[in-house]
Amino acid sequence: MTRPLISVKDLTLRFKTDEGLVTAVNNVSFDIAPGEVLGLVGESGSGKSVTAKSLMMLNAENSVYDEGSSITLNVDGKDYDVLSLRRPAEQMIIRGGAISMIFQEPMASFAPAITIGEQMVEQLMIHSSITRSQARDISVEMLTRVGIPEPAERFGQYAFEFSGGMRQRAMIAMALSTKPRLLIADEPTTALDVTIQAQVIDLMKDLVDEFHMSILFITHDLGVIAQTADRVAVMYLGNLVETGTVRQVINTPSHPYTRGLLNSLPKLDDLDAPLTPVPGDIPSPLDRPTGCVFHTRCVESGEIAERCRSEIPGTTIGADDHRVDCHLASAGDQA
Amino acid sequence: MTDTATADGTAVSLEQSAKEAYFTAGQGQLIWARFKKQRAAMVGAGILIWLVLSGMFASFLTPYDPTIAGRNPDYQNGAPQIPKFWDENGFSARPFIYSYKRSRSIETNFRWVSKVDRDARRYVVFFVEGDKYELFGMEFKTHVFGVDKGKIHLFGTDATGKDIFSRTFHSINTSLAVGTIGVLLAFVLALIIGGVSGYYGGWIDSILQMITDAVRTIPAIPLFMAIAAFIPPEISSEGRFFIISIILGFIGWPTLARRVRTHLLTERNQEYVLAAQLCGASPGHIIGRHLLPSFTSYIIVDLIISFPYMVLSETALSFIGLGLKEPVNSLGVMLQNVTKADVLLNYQWNFIPVLFFITLVLAFVFVGDGLRDAADPYADTKK
Amino acid sequence: MRDILIRANNLSVHFPLRGLGFGERPVVRACEGINIEIEKGSFFGLVGESGSGKTTLGRAMLKAAPISHGEVLYSDGEVNYSLGNIQKHELKDYRKRAQLIFQDPYAALSPRMTVRDIIAEPLEVMGITSSRDETDARVREIAAMCRLNLEHLRRFPHAFSGGQRQRISIARALVSGPKFIVADESVAALDVSIQADVLNLLNKIQQESGITFLFISHDLSVIAHTCDFVAVMYLGQIVESAPTRKLFDETWHPYTRALLSAIPSLDPDVRGNAQKLEGEIPSPINPPPGCRFNTRCPHAQDRCRSEVPEWREMSSGHHVACHFAEDLA
Repeated sequence: MTRPLISVKDLTLRFKTDEGLVTAVNNVSFDIAPGEVLGLVGESGSGKSVTAKSLMMLNAENSVYDEGSSITLNVDGKDYDVLSLRRPAEQMIIRGGAISMIFQEPMASFAPAITIGEQMVEQLMIHSSITRSQARDISVEMLTRVGIPEPAERFGQYAFEFSGGMRQRAMIAMALSTKPRLLIADEPTTALDVTIQAQVIDLMKDLVDEFHMSILFITHDLGVIAQTADRVAVMYLGNLVETGTVRQVINTPSHPYTRGLLNSLPKLDDLDAPLTPVPGDIPSPLDRPTGCVFHTRCVESGEIAERCRSEIPGTTIGADDHRVDCHLASAGDQA
Repeated sequence: MTDTATADGTAVSLEQSAKEAYFTAGQGQLIWARFKKQRAAMVGAGILIWLVLSGMFASFLTPYDPTIAGRNPDYQNGAPQIPKFWDENGFSARPFIYSYKRSRSIETNFRWVSKVDRDARRYVVFFVEGDKYELFGMEFKTHVFGVDKGKIHLFGTDATGKDIFSRTFHSINTSLAVGTIGVLLAFVLALIIGGVSGYYGGWIDSILQMITDAVRTIPAIPLFMAIAAFIPPEISSEGRFFIISIILGFIGWPTLARRVRTHLLTERNQEYVLAAQLCGASPGHIIGRHLLPSFTSYIIVDLIISFPYMVLSETALSFIGLGLKEPVNSLGVMLQNVTKADVLLNYQWNFIPVLFFITLVLAFVFVGDGLRDAADPYADTKK
Repeated sequence: MRDILIRANNLSVHFPLRGLGFGERPVVRACEGINIEIEKGSFFGLVGESGSGKTTLGRAMLKAAPISHGEVLYSDGEVNYSLGNIQKHELKDYRKRAQLIFQDPYAALSPRMTVRDIIAEPLEVMGITSSRDETDARVREIAAMCRLNLEHLRRFPHAFSGGQRQRISIARALVSGPKFIVADESVAALDVSIQADVLNLLNKIQQESGITFLFISHDLSVIAHTCDFVAVMYLGQIVESAPTRKLFDETWHPYTRALLSAIPSLDPDVRGNAQKLEGEIPSPINPPPGCRFNTRCPHAQDRCRSEVPEWREMSSGHHVACHFAEDLA
């Protein structure tokens, strides 16, 4: 049983705002094994981006981590307690070193006035002691690897000269040039056309195999998750409500929210099925519901609704480590 | 969705009404709520209001006429007289000042020297009848305070004996009036020119921008000198006052116009504008109903911040003699008297009005900054 | 006999760009030679990726984009308009009959107006109602249809979530009693569960009032579920159009096939499928000659690079523009 690459335990994160302490992430725990793709699924306000940024300590200054939270990174046999890394020198390992991140909007992630090549070289030279020309060679090689034609020429171009799909590939190239163990991909394909999205997803899967890299794939698109992830974690309003392998979660979802999400999706294989939305609206994080965080919109609570309103459900661990936080599940009512 | 576990009906409804108030708050209310939280801005606003009011009611608050008519020929270049309650002669419930004897002789180099007579007291009285003045078209004679015999000069007097205290407050009023006219004129011009430029774009925009840039590059001082040379000396001081204000307005509009234009250029491509156009709304309707309200907050901030510039420009011009002249008095006019070494060395109280103006300008700046901070975060909350 | 509400014949929409001064000014050929017929009371889907020209086509049908060539004909039984040379007073009337719902719920609502004013604005501008009471009554009626209650009407847009704002946009589009509504990516910016909610609302409105919808989206699965008829666009041209069911049962055009296979399937066991398109989408300023899809088509031949394919009817109601459609089936 290999040690997980990254292990998140009881992560709770609050933000100090004018309106008080707002809980963005509540008691989230998950592990990512080396070479595994974990999909983090949730809608807006679910806290998935904030969770991902915590892994790299990228959250804003007004963020407050709870006492019991811990994130442990295991690289080359050594353990790093991520939340206690304060000085920039220490944080290098999580920022571009062992962990890299790519974002949704590649145009916003590249500096507009510096060439792509320059940015890639800069990143490499910060994280390793190589010469500039070595860095350039590695960068051009990475650009080739991600499928950018004429990489040597593209190396000297600016971000606006690339199309959307190209930019995303260039960003992947940049993120991978330091050979990270974990790639965090925050909605990387949401802004792309669907045919380009298919190309980028294929690319990422190939790279996982080649580099033996893990990916934390954040998205709201369950179809993309079904095609890329090994395991899935579903988040709602800062809580992790269900975790399991991709087949468990998509084919046999245990949590009412997951079921609701899947039911509201238009499916190509059944054009006549009605679209059933999850009723209601997501509550404001200032107004976190008591008890089970999903109870205000749950249509399945039925007789135990009172319990859902007052008691926070514990984690029920089912077959093959299929976890769900739901009173229905703990009562033995699995789908 | 509020989901409080308590069954306290009042707590829930209070929360609900606070929420509802937030949901239905118009732009003005939201900005005011944010503005209130900033200490510096609130203090600045308070001081500003106080200064404006004292300027408006200067005639009532100050004891004497600020022009030559109200001067005290017996107390020229006199030091400030601070009322006291107590001295070696005993305590007095009423504040008093001393009378003085002035003399000059060869020993004092023929400078006026006042000797204070500590036994002869003059008591300060309130709501006393004094010089006549006009306020809102009506004549009054009552002033807030005065002295039973002679005159009282809280900030001293200048070379001709005019009371500096009275003049300070009147000058605040004058400068604010000049500033207001200038700012309003600049604003109207900026709205029209910047508005047309920004909304229509294209060649109209190019031409208007060229004009704007040309006007902006006109250097102010030479322009004023030229205009000052042209103003016939027969024009009354009030007339002069208006001409100066108008000139300031004409110089001030380019910056504001550019801001209006930039804002319109970005906003007119917003989808809600297209939605209105698809209903067949006229440009006038779109500008009035959609575009203008969206940048009213910024324009108000710009207006408030241009105020001190207007005031200071007027001060500078009057100081070098190109602006207002007696009997209309402003800070610049008052400062004309302080260029002599004599005054600098011996009669420093002539500079007291400067403190007031620094306070006025700072108050404007704090309020403007506070407003800008309060207005800016009125961006739609993105998900 | 099909009752066609609005049709486009050989429609082209070109946007001139600022030229360099010499030579020809570059032109963005946003739409080229579009032939489309939208039946009254139908829910017509228009799908395409970026640069396909779908938004421009939707706007051209509302006379919000210039018509460079060809014509758009609107006929709803009461009036007949040719949008290319429509008169001013006719245009005013047309605006009551054809409306638009935008994509971005955050930019489409004027932030300084109350919801009531936003919904009432078309009534006031177009002079549909004559008194404030009448306006209010109509606003309430439409708002109720979109599940907005009286409290909501007094609030400002910043108080609402994305899905609610989209419902306000829908209410605004409905209030003038239109016969034709263009929904331009109206659910793209919404979360998945809210998306379903809004789509159901649009369907309900369509069934109750018989309004004809032109639904523009890049998401083929959404279109498949809501629309009766689909047209697929690529780089300014319609490459295939058919009733929805037929498009999925019998796909003729290589691009449509590629689009379908690119949609990630919800079944984790269906992975690694055949058709992945290589290359990038060309720019609409300099579209490839001949069939515009030839640069990325896995079956491209010389004929495709020189000759523009004809718009042919393969079976009833199913058209495609491809030289080799039958051979590739």
